Amino acid sequence: MNSTTEHLIRRGLRSCWENLSLNAMVVSVIGAALILAGTYLQVIHNLDKVMTSWDREVHISAYFYGNDPGEHQFAIMDEIAAMPAVEEVIHLSEEDAALFLIERLPDVAPIIEEFGAEVLPASLEITLRPNYTRPELIQEFVDGITQHDFEEIDYGQEWVRKFESFLSMLQALGTVIGSLIVLASIFLVANTMHLVVYARRPELETMKLVGATFGFVVTPFLIEGAVLGLLGGVVATCGLLAIHILLFARVGEYLNLAMSNESLVFLPVSWVVLLILIGILLGMAGCYKAVNKFWKAAS
Amino acid sequence: MIRLYHLGKSYGPHDALIDVNLHIPKGDFVYITGPSGAGKTTLLKLLYGAEHPSSGKLLVGGIDASKLSDRQLPHLRRNIGVVFQDFKLIPNRTVADNVGLALEVLGMDRHDISRRIRAVLNTVGLRGRENSLPTDLSGGEQQRVAVARAIVNDPAILLADEPTGNLDGAMAVEVMEILLAVNLRGTTVMVATHDTGLMDRFPNRKLRFENGRLVKS
Repeated sequence: MNSTTEHLIRRGLRSCWENLSLNAMVVSVIGAALILAGTYLQVIHNLDKVMTSWDREVHISAYFYGNDPGEHQFAIMDEIAAMPAVEEVIHLSEEDAALFLIERLPDVAPIIEEFGAEVLPASLEITLRPNYTRPELIQEFVDGITQHDFEEIDYGQEWVRKFESFLSMLQALGTVIGSLIVLASIFLVANTMHLVVYARRPELETMKLVGATFGFVVTPFLIEGAVLGLLGGVVATCGLLAIHILLFARVGEYLNLAMSNESLVFLPVSWVVLLILIGILLGMAGCYKAVNKFWKAAS
Repeated sequence: MIRLYHLGKSYGPHDALIDVNLHIPKGDFVYITGPSGAGKTTLLKLLYGAEHPSSGKLLVGGIDASKLSDRQLPHLRRNIGVVFQDFKLIPNRTVADNVGLALEVLGMDRHDISRRIRAVLNTVGLRGRENSLPTDLSGGEQQRVAVARAIVNDPAILLADEPTGNLDGAMAVEVMEILLAVNLRGTTVMVATHDTGLMDRFPNRKLRFENGRLVKS
């Protein structure tokens, strides 16, 4: 390490200790911004996870017409079972469907007995392979089997698609909100760093007058900003863990993910690392902005 | 070393310097004198790039200082030592840190910096005060720290703005002797001062300014 680099690092680290109260404020601002962003990311991550689990469990019910003969139904079943997208096909006869319904809704048993099992259509219960669970592939598969003249094909994906659209909208909204949070953080960090720069104005003015370059002056501040951003990132990670343990996990228990058996999870390590990196960049950007403003104004 | 061609500086309607033509050879010792507001400090500021001229040309060491960009300016300043009227010492840094600043910006090795700081503090009579803060020093000592910082990197040009203005007679003489010693080593020295007593005691070329004009050189 050459002497200039060593000097700049030493100055940057020393400055972290010399302005403890202002630097604590910077760390708080960065930490708060990252907690907001991280909470949003955690919500998105869990919703996405639920979506994926729903996608994994795609079942398609294809109902036959009442007068469709049994042999024809089994022939269609064999044809569908041979399709590459299909994991499993189960044939439910009218009697199986009646038993299934009575098992789940015992109150309907008298109605079934009175009208006979024929009121319920026979069906094929199709499970798709995991690679074929994307909405467009499901739709393609469904379009493919309509040639068999089913009375109705129900694959319950319409609302999943709507939920997915909602999720996409949420992600887009999050991008806008996230950008605003980042900009507001840079502004707040820069304003706080202005106070630090202001407090050290005589030193910086003198440095400029004895021939310091902008790089020489700004580098210790960038190091300081990176350290503060790192600390902000660590604070945010601790905060997010606390929120996860105290709030998310409990909400998860109540919901028990009514729609899924998945439990709510914390952010993946790569996302946490990304948040900390964003914190470091926020700190550096704020410091750069503050020093740059001073540099342009100083003689 | 320094050449001025029809140099002018205005602040709005006020002309601080008007049509100044001047040549200061390398190794010269020059007093810049004149009443307050005559343009002495403005001239020094133009020389170390704190201000840009409004008109004319300013050559420092063959470089047109009036056309230097912000990126080039630090390189000019590294060749010019400046003793400011208000010292411009960093109050919460030690004497050694203040003096070493001019060497740190050059990227000099820490051991060389320490060695040169010790040598220059010895020259200005502040040996043993390396770890003192400026606030613990007298006005004269602070002035000598400012001189030490200005000369520590052996600049080609030394500019001093009222370097004895805050000092009593004996101290002022000491500081002037330091500046003359620096000049003897080949540095071009320009001292802005009102102190006629010192100018008579240490006679050198005088540049007299009045109302922004160079009236005697």
